[in-house]
Amino acid sequence: MSTMTRKLVPLILLLAFPAILRAQELKLPPGVEKLASKAKETVEVNMDGPMLHWASKFLSAEDPEERKAAKLVANLKGIYVRSYEFSDEGAYSAADVEEVRAQFRSPGWSRVVGVRSERDGDNVDIFFKLENEKMAGIVIISAEAKELTFVNIVGPLEVDQLADLGGEFGIPKLKTRPQSSKPMAKADKGEQK
Amino acid sequence: MTEINKNPNLLEDALRNALRREDAPEGFALRVLARALPQASAAQEAQRASWLSIFSQPLLRWSAVAAVTICLVIGGIYYRNLQRQRAEGEAAKQQLMLALRIAGSKLQLAKEKVNEINTSRPEPQPQNRSPRSRS
Amino acid sequence: MVFSIAHHFLTDAPSAEELAQDVFLQLHATLPTLKSEEHVKFWLRKVTAHRCIDYQRRRKLPQVSLDEAPEPMSPAQSSDPLVARRLQQFVASLPEKPRLIVILRYQEDMLPEDIATVLAMPVATVKSYLQRSLALLREKVTRTMGEVTI
Repeated sequence: MSTMTRKLVPLILLLAFPAILRAQELKLPPGVEKLASKAKETVEVNMDGPMLHWASKFLSAEDPEERKAAKLVANLKGIYVRSYEFSDEGAYSAADVEEVRAQFRSPGWSRVVGVRSERDGDNVDIFFKLENEKMAGIVIISAEAKELTFVNIVGPLEVDQLADLGGEFGIPKLKTRPQSSKPMAKADKGEQK
Repeated sequence: MTEINKNPNLLEDALRNALRREDAPEGFALRVLARALPQASAAQEAQRASWLSIFSQPLLRWSAVAAVTICLVIGGIYYRNLQRQRAEGEAAKQQLMLALRIAGSKLQLAKEKVNEINTSRPEPQPQNRSPRSRS
Repeated sequence: MVFSIAHHFLTDAPSAEELAQDVFLQLHATLPTLKSEEHVKFWLRKVTAHRCIDYQRRRKLPQVSLDEAPEPMSPAQSSDPLVARRLQQFVASLPEKPRLIVILRYQEDMLPEDIATVLAMPVATVKSYLQRSLALLREKVTRTMGEVTI
């Protein structure tokens, strides 16, 4: 996340109604929910289908970035983000993060990326939800030394749409892989903490 | 408890309270309309031949001015609502873009990490049946 | 908004209403030239402010400097619980420009920069008037009301 974004967004809370959270597939344990009080900056975005569609009406067709965003979100059912930035390391519990990861070791979910880095403490997991061989959702869990981020995008998201956005949002051009639980790459040095 | 005269914030809060907006007295709008009628008459005298001559009827004049005022008020309310909706929509759009950027940046992070690992790893050796080969 | 600014400035309801009516009649004639709601709001504040000062001068009330601003005519009541009313009286005793600035600042919640635009004054002058008015009001509160707690 850019410094400018962080500076502009100390705390954003949008639509925290319980009903909306049912569409969200990611359940955060209480230990993670409480991190907002410890974090230097918190970003919380909860946008369900209707909200997404309404917001997308204001995307400009003349702006290339917004035009691609409009195409990406056209069939989505929800976007949910929790991101916490801390002043110091060790602000969150690895066990809490693992509890979240465990939710996606279940049928229907594939972990396509699992990176563990002992060098700088950054761990990133990306899970795809596949239904009828099509992407139906994505969960990103990024556990860095001073930042913890959970992203859940729900909906029939075509992987090639993500690929098209490579470079626009910083989304890499991921190659579509055959349905498999094998991670693309993994450090051999074992899990951190 | 803090004294108003020592704490500048309290004085300012007290001023905001003391100077908060007051409603106009009852009947204010009607009195404005009543004053508007003679002005409407003077204008209409100058345009006697035009279609506005229909408003030479006192009752119609009154209705016309009232109708214009109501339209102005309703138009103003509509405009205000439109502006508010637009502002809310823009804010929601910003939230959406922010969420997508965060998702994108974390995917980018994952890609960088994967590339780091791939470039730092030695090329895997072809597998053989030797007991010394790595499992 | 219009009536409220006029009433806080003139403290006389009939005069404030007459002034407010004048402003709306003028608005009706000018409306086609105004481009947005913000423009209308700006126009209303500006015209109301200038009409307040004109009205004050037409009534030929003596002008005093900020340092000479008198105490309200009513006797000080140390037990007067209506702090808001006392403050209104104190504000009304300020000279016309500082009075208008205080009203625009605390009734309309306008920034000094915006007040300067409405009154066609330098921002520094507005800030200076504001600062001195607050100091004077604070002094009046102490002098007439003693220690006021809220």
